[in-house]
Order: sequence, then C-alpha cells, then structure tokens
Amino acid sequence: MSFDLIIPIIITLVGASTPILIAALGELVAEKSGVLNLGVEGMMLIGAVVAVAVMLTTGNHYLAIICAAGASACSALIFGFLTLSLSANQVATGLALTILGTGFSALFGQPYTGQAVPLLRSPFAPELAQHEVLRIFFGYSPLVYFSLIMVVAVWWFLQRTRWGLILRAVGESDHSAHSIGYSVLGVRYLAVAFGGAMAGIAGSCFPFILTPQWVERLTSGRGWIALALVVFAAWKPFRLLAGAYLFGLIATMELYAKAAGGNFRILPSELWAALPYLATILVLVLISMRRQGSTSAPACLGRPFVPSN
Amino acid sequence: MLFKVEKRPVPSQTMVYLTPVLAVLVTMVLGAIIFSLMGYDGIAAVREIFFTPILNTLKWQDLAVKAAPLILIGVGLAIGYRANVWNIGAEGQYIVGGLAATGVALATHEMTGWYLLPLMALAGIAGGMAYASIPAFLKVRYKVNEILTTLMLTYVAVQLLNYLIFGPWKSPRSFGQPQTVLFNADQTLPYIIPGTIVQAGAPIAVIVALVAWFLMSRSIFGFQVRTVGTAPNAARYAGFSANQTVWLALLIGGGMAGLAGMLEVSGPFGRMVPQFPTNYGFTAIIVAFLGRLNPAGVIIAGLVLAITFVGGEVAQITIGLPFPAVGIFQAMMLFLLLAGDFFVRYRLRRVVTAASVKPASEAAE
Amino acid sequence: MTVKNARAMISRRTALKIGGAAAALPLIGSRAFAQQDTVKAAFVLIGTPDDNGWNYGHDQGRIDMLAALGEDRVETTVVTNVPEGPDSERVFRELAQQGNDIIFGTSFGYGDSMLKVAPMFPDTKFEWCTGYATAPNLSIYNARFHEGRAVLGTIAGMMSETGIGAYIGSFPIPEVFMGANAFHIAARKKNPDFVTKVVYVDSWFDPAKEADAARALIDQGVDVITQHTDGPAALQVAEERGIIGGFGQGADMSAFAPEAHLTSIIDKWGPYYIHAVESVLDGTWEESSSWEGLAAGEVVIGPYNPKIPEDVVAEAERVRLGIIDGSIHPFAGPIVDTNGNVWAEEGDIIDDGEFWADSAWYAEGMEA
Repeated sequence: MSFDLIIPIIITLVGASTPILIAALGELVAEKSGVLNLGVEGMMLIGAVVAVAVMLTTGNHYLAIICAAGASACSALIFGFLTLSLSANQVATGLALTILGTGFSALFGQPYTGQAVPLLRSPFAPELAQHEVLRIFFGYSPLVYFSLIMVVAVWWFLQRTRWGLILRAVGESDHSAHSIGYSVLGVRYLAVAFGGAMAGIAGSCFPFILTPQWVERLTSGRGWIALALVVFAAWKPFRLLAGAYLFGLIATMELYAKAAGGNFRILPSELWAALPYLATILVLVLISMRRQGSTSAPACLGRPFVPSN
Repeated sequence: MLFKVEKRPVPSQTMVYLTPVLAVLVTMVLGAIIFSLMGYDGIAAVREIFFTPILNTLKWQDLAVKAAPLILIGVGLAIGYRANVWNIGAEGQYIVGGLAATGVALATHEMTGWYLLPLMALAGIAGGMAYASIPAFLKVRYKVNEILTTLMLTYVAVQLLNYLIFGPWKSPRSFGQPQTVLFNADQTLPYIIPGTIVQAGAPIAVIVALVAWFLMSRSIFGFQVRTVGTAPNAARYAGFSANQTVWLALLIGGGMAGLAGMLEVSGPFGRMVPQFPTNYGFTAIIVAFLGRLNPAGVIIAGLVLAITFVGGEVAQITIGLPFPAVGIFQAMMLFLLLAGDFFVRYRLRRVVTAASVKPASEAAE
Repeated sequence: MTVKNARAMISRRTALKIGGAAAALPLIGSRAFAQQDTVKAAFVLIGTPDDNGWNYGHDQGRIDMLAALGEDRVETTVVTNVPEGPDSERVFRELAQQGNDIIFGTSFGYGDSMLKVAPMFPDTKFEWCTGYATAPNLSIYNARFHEGRAVLGTIAGMMSETGIGAYIGSFPIPEVFMGANAFHIAARKKNPDFVTKVVYVDSWFDPAKEADAARALIDQGVDVITQHTDGPAALQVAEERGIIGGFGQGADMSAFAPEAHLTSIIDKWGPYYIHAVESVLDGTWEESSSWEGLAAGEVVIGPYNPKIPEDVVAEAERVRLGIIDGSIHPFAGPIVDTNGNVWAEEGDIIDDGEFWADSAWYAEGMEA
C-alpha cells in the first residue's frame, strides 16, 4: 500500500460510513427524546426496498429517497403508537419492527431483484467529481453531503433551538417537562418519526451508493452497527460523525489491507469484525468512569411515559 | 367519542390471560385478510401455519424440538425482565454456552462415559453465565446500560464462533469445510421417545420452566425479584439490593441460554457449525413477552412460536406461501400482543356526555 | 445467519459410504418402488430463485427438467430460504411425508439433516448437492466449476493490462481454493507474471462489503475481477469504475454490467436433474456420486462480450473445448504454491478429487 491510496480509501470509507451515519443520526434524536427504537435494521430494509421500487418505477432518485423516508417513518409510527400511546415495551416492539421490516422488504422486493438500479452520482461537473485530488471534496453522492448537513442540523437543533431544548428535556426528565406543559408524547412521536425517516434514507444509500441492486437482507446488519454508533458517540452529533468514519475506516482498511496482500493482516479478521462492538463497550465504560458512574445516556431512555396527573 | 380510557385500579388478571389469546386470534383474521388481498389463499395460509402443526401428529415432534430452546431461553429472560434487567443478548450467551460445551466435547472426544453430557451441560451453563457476567459487571460497577452491552456482545460471540470454527476447531475429516467433528455417542443427547426425533432437550426445557414457575410464584425469591422490578425502593428495605438483582437476573438468563446452547449443539446439531446461531436468543425475547414474563406462559408461547415456524414451512410446501410471510405473521402477533397489554392496565368505559370526553392525545396516555 | 456459499467437491473415490440402510422407522408407511408414471420431485433452496446466482441456477435446472420430461409426468415443489442445520431436517421430513419421490437438497449444510432423514424414508430418493457422503437412498452431485474458472482465467490473463486480477470469496472453503487456483493457473499460462489477489469478505452474505472489497482491489491495480459470492455486487463496481471487466457467477449477469461483463460461468443443473428424475420414473435410480463439468454441459460458459478481441475468444474457446475433450486439464503441472512446495511436476496433473481433499494452498503468484 502506498500514499496514493489515501484518497481512494477516503472515498470508499465515506461511502461505507454514510448509511450508518444517517441512520444513527435519526436514532440519536429518537433516543435523546427518551425512546430506544431497536428497529433500525428493519426500517432501513423498508427504506431500501421502497427506494428501489420507486426508482425503477419512476426513474427519479429524489422521489425515491423521499418515498423511502416516508415509508420508514410510517413503520416508525407503528412503533410509536405502541410504545408511546399504548406504553408498550420498547425493546420488544423494536425487535418486532425489525422482524416486520425484514419480512415486508423480502416480500415486497421480490419483483425488483435481478434489476440494476442507477447510482445516485456526484452532482458536480466531471472535472471536479472525477478529478484526481478534488474528488475528495466533490466526488460523492448527494446523500453524502446530505448526511454532513444533517450532522450540523441535528447539532444545531438540539443545542441551539428552543425545540431542541424541549426535546432534550423530555428525554432527561419527562415528568418535569410534562408538568411545565410540554406534550411529552407529541415530542416523542416527532422524534421517532424523524428517526424512521432517516433510517429510510439510510436504507436508500445501499442501492444508490454502495451496491446498485435490491436483494433480500441487503443491509446485512448495518442497522445494529448504527445503534452501537449512537452509544459510541455518547449521543453527540459531531462525535457521531467521527465515530461513523472511524467505524468505516476500520471496515475499509481491513479490505484494503487484504487487497494489498502480503503480511498486512495484523489481527485475525474476526477481531477486526468484532472491533466496533468492543470499542463501543469500552467507550461506554470510559464515559462512565470519567463521570463517576453516570453515563451520558438520556435519563428516560427506554422508559415509557405515563403522566401521573 | 363514546368511550373513555381510564386506568384500572389493579391490572386486570382476566386481560393478562385473554390478550395473548386475542393477539393470536386477531393475527389469524388480519393475516387471512392481508394475504388474501395480496393474491394468496389467506385462509389456507392461516390453516397451514396455525393449525396443521397441531392437527398433524407427525408435527408434534418438530414442535417439541423447535420450542425447547425457545422455552429455556425465554424463561431465563422472563425472570430477568421481571426484575427490570433487560438482557437482549441471549443469542450471544447461547452461542458461548454452545461453544463451551463444544470445547469440552472436543477435549473429551476419545472418552466415553455417562458423565460426558452432564459435564458438557455444566460447561454450557458456565459459558453462558460467564458471558452474561460481563454486562452484569459493567452494569453494577460502571452503571453501563445492559441493553446495549448485551446486544454488542452478541456480535462479538458470532465472531468468536467463526474464529474457532475456521481455525483451531475445524475438523480434519470434513474436507476443509468449517465445522467440528461429530460428537461421539456419549456426547450426543439420546432420543427419549422411540421413533421420533425428540431428544432430552424438550423435557429438560419443560422441567426447568416448571421449576422456575414454582420459584417465581411460590417462593420468597420470586417475590423479591418481582418487588425489585416493580418497586426498587421497597425491595431495598426487604434486604435485596439492586446490584444483587442485576447479577442474579443476568446469570440466570445467561445460564439458561448457555444450557440451551449446549442442548442444541449436542442434540439436533451434533457438532458445531457456522449456522449454529439461529436467532433463538432473539426469538426468545418475543416468547418471553408473549408468555407474559411468566415461566408457565413461556411454555405456551414457545409452542406458539414453534407452531408458526413449523407451519410456515408447511404453508410454503403446500400452498406456496412465500417464506417472508411467516415473519410478517410473527411481527403482527407481537405487535397485537404488545398493543393488548394496554388493556391489562386500562379499560374503556362508556361515557354519557360529550363534555366529559378528554382530548384524544391525553386519553391515549 | 445462513451459509450461502458452502459448497464442497467430491470425486467418486473420496465419497464416504454411510453404512447399510438403518431400519425404517415405524411412523412412515413403506411404498413399493418400481417403474412409475408420475414423479413428485422437491427442491430445497437456501435462498430464493431470484438471487441470480446459486439458487437461480437450481431453479432453472428444475424448469429445464420439467420441460424435458413434461409437466404431466413430473410435479415439483420448491422450498426456499431453508436454513442449514436442524431446521432443514424438518423440511426434508415434511417433503418425504408429502409423498415426494425424490428430494434435492441444494446446499452443503443440509448434509447432516439428509443423512438423518434418508434412513427413515427408504423409498424416497435424496440428492445432496456438493455433499461428500452417500447412502443407499442418498446420492451426491456437484459440478466442476473450476473448469469454467480456467476459461475465465485464460481471458483474464490475456486481457488484463495491469496483470493483476482478483478473486473475491466469502470464506476460505475448499471450492474457493479450487476455483481461485484454476483461475490463476490458467491466467499465468497467458501471462507468466499474472498476479491474483484473493480477498475474503468474511461474511456469508454482505453485498455492500463485497462491493467495497471490489473497490479496494480496483484501487490497487486490479483490472479483472471475479467473485465466488452470489450476486452482481463486485461486477457492478467493475462497471462503475470502467475497468476491463469481470465475470458473471452462476448465471449471466450482463444486465447488471453491460460493459464490464466479459462472460459468465452458468450453472446448468438441468442435465443432472433430467437424468435423476428420469431414473426414478423408469425405476433405475441408484446410489451414486456425480461430478460433471463442461463436457456434460453442467458448467456452461455464457456469451462473450463483443468487446473481447477475437484472438482472446479463440483462445478461451480452445481451452473450453480442450477441457471438454480432455486434452487440457485445469491443474496441469508444473504447479508450485506460494511456499515453494511442488504440487505437480511438468507433465503431471493434479487429480480433481485429490486437489479437493487437500487444497488449502495458493499457487505461486497469488496473494491472499
């Protein structure tokens, strides 16, 4: 391997990281409001299959992405209705959502397997997008730029807006927020729907950036990595960006090292594969140690809210 | 609105038992309608998925085999969930339990004797417990959320399995395929009902579930666990610390999942293979909820899930129902059950005047 | 998680014989077996027929068989998404109880289940694809895909400008060793400096990771790519990057990559399925081990992309026809591995069966 590879590696790792980043941003907002939705993998699959179906029918990438976001948001609202209005257990409901998404996407996607899907390529002129060096800035799919904009937007929303403050208050202390007069459930519904929409867009990254096709279980477990990433990033958007690219770097470097041949494999490949999960656990422990026993998880995460009026 | 939602003074016992039944029934009706609209024979689908496995006696052995690990893991999880400890990594504990039993089996492969299986069972339980003790330690010592750590560790366990099966444990006699040698006769569970494929796993699962049911409902221990779950502060006065509960809940859940792993690898599998993780650990979470976190209920719930798996295969063979349909049925059933939970704690009451009706958003709370 | 690609090879010599038929269990009635008018045949698949690869190939074989023997004489059932391991045991038993006369298990990991179920239904014929053990009512069958790989290697050796090709696999299993070596050895005959980079994605199913592996390889000079995983993920990256090309695996995949798709190895199970079902019809079915390749039409090289120069096509055809008439062998010496061990001297060949039983090595010039 040589330095010439730095730019190609960055291009590949950004692509690999983008769906995880987008899905994790959505989950971050949901979790900040106090809702743990384990159905990310299922929602991503729904998004991916809807994106392919709409793309192959209409030929419009952006319409496909919007429909993917809408479909996944609808599935998230099923989750929301059960966990919020009916205060059902979030863990079980999230798992059920993943089972539903896996089954639905496999069934709905059957007519679309075996067809190539056009990629959503860089919006910039070829002189920029394919330039040897400048492609590091201009060579990406619009979905990549969207993910970066959303990192800033989510940070700005959570830290700088009144609505963000309310959302965090709902996640940290639902009863206080309720007693001040905020609609805890209303906020959480919106957060869950946003999480679903983002998971759907993340799903559309698979056929539009990574591998332009539909096939059952296309996302192969990336939804669970997104869940890990939210924790790894300690619920902070910019750390989420860094974490997503770090996870992407681990996965990408492994492949580039293998492709380089020779003795580049320092660790058994199983350890590489387990690394993101082990790192996430380590980060959880470190956060807790630094703060003397309090994790940075939203205080109400996973707890149903029942007003005590 | 003609009805008003109000909280029941005490959770309805009738509803506790009625809602799972209703969830299954409504799933059948909705499923029949949805799949008919999609152009399949919806009624036949429901018949094949839910009734054929019960009516065809040849299928009973399959139900027993498929339900056993679900019940075993489900019971362990149910006890933990009662205490508000959310172990969702039973899949990982099941894998590590199976690996521990495999390790013993490979080390004693040249040996014979009745003690091999008990030894493997102990190893399986210990393996599952050891793996679950990681999140327990992190929760007690560092207050790290066990939902996240147990989930992460599941993926680590899969990699551990791959490492062993492609590396040190690969059989020299399987032409390079990633699998261990077949366990010897004394390392393989005996068939207990002649002429069927039912091995010792099924009765063990039922016995363990019944013992757990007795402990949970009739012993001080069960009372303590339930108290910790519902009222942690009260439990502290009763001399039962939250930390002890975390340890106990995870060790029980991990131990049972580990035992299930051992029973599977020494039973239906007969050797360790890469396909060993079959999602039993995740499906058991559904089983625990469908069984109302009650060990006796888990037995029934385990059977219901097994019916949908076995029936799903029948439906594919007889009426050509696509495989993913089974997942949709299962998800629907769980959604309806979780929705039904609401009616355990709340009831609808007719209201006389419109003036007393609450806004919908509040009423839904 | 399911195993998608675990397929092994077997020769008649290395097949294990499973001892005499175990006594039939009492729960199944026994039917007399002789010549019959109609046959019920069942196919157990690990995925769905629309995967454009392994499962598609088997389903096409079934369709070819139906066309040849007539739908009035053969009734087929297909069970999809059957996991390997104990879950498949149930499916095989159910199919036998439903009165199927012959049941094809089309993945390596069904073996333990089939070996358990077969003795319970002595009148039902079982066929284990890529298996390594037979029984009185259990046959095994496989195809010599590596023969097709030798043709692809010839094309790669002649067309590659960088002299670097790639082979993407899921895990290091025997068939991958065999296919990768056949590809590389053939390429080296055309370009003595040819290098084949072997990369495992370490996952049974992960199209996005396969695509990223292809990107990593192309970024490091690879201009001809071949993959041992189902689906067009790597080929689509070849198209996107505009390299010389790649090959379809299991089926023609030119729809996914019209420019990059040079040709394909097509699995044709039809001839075998026709033979097996016909022998049930006329009552001549017997325990056997089948391992056919290009000659029997079980492995077929698809249409060549028009962009391939004529001399390359001619050479590829020469190799294909040579393998068919026996004048060319994919593992003809000299063959030396990366550690300098000599596996075949000049003028020797490595027998396919021997290779399969002991093939955890890479020929000189391969990088893994």
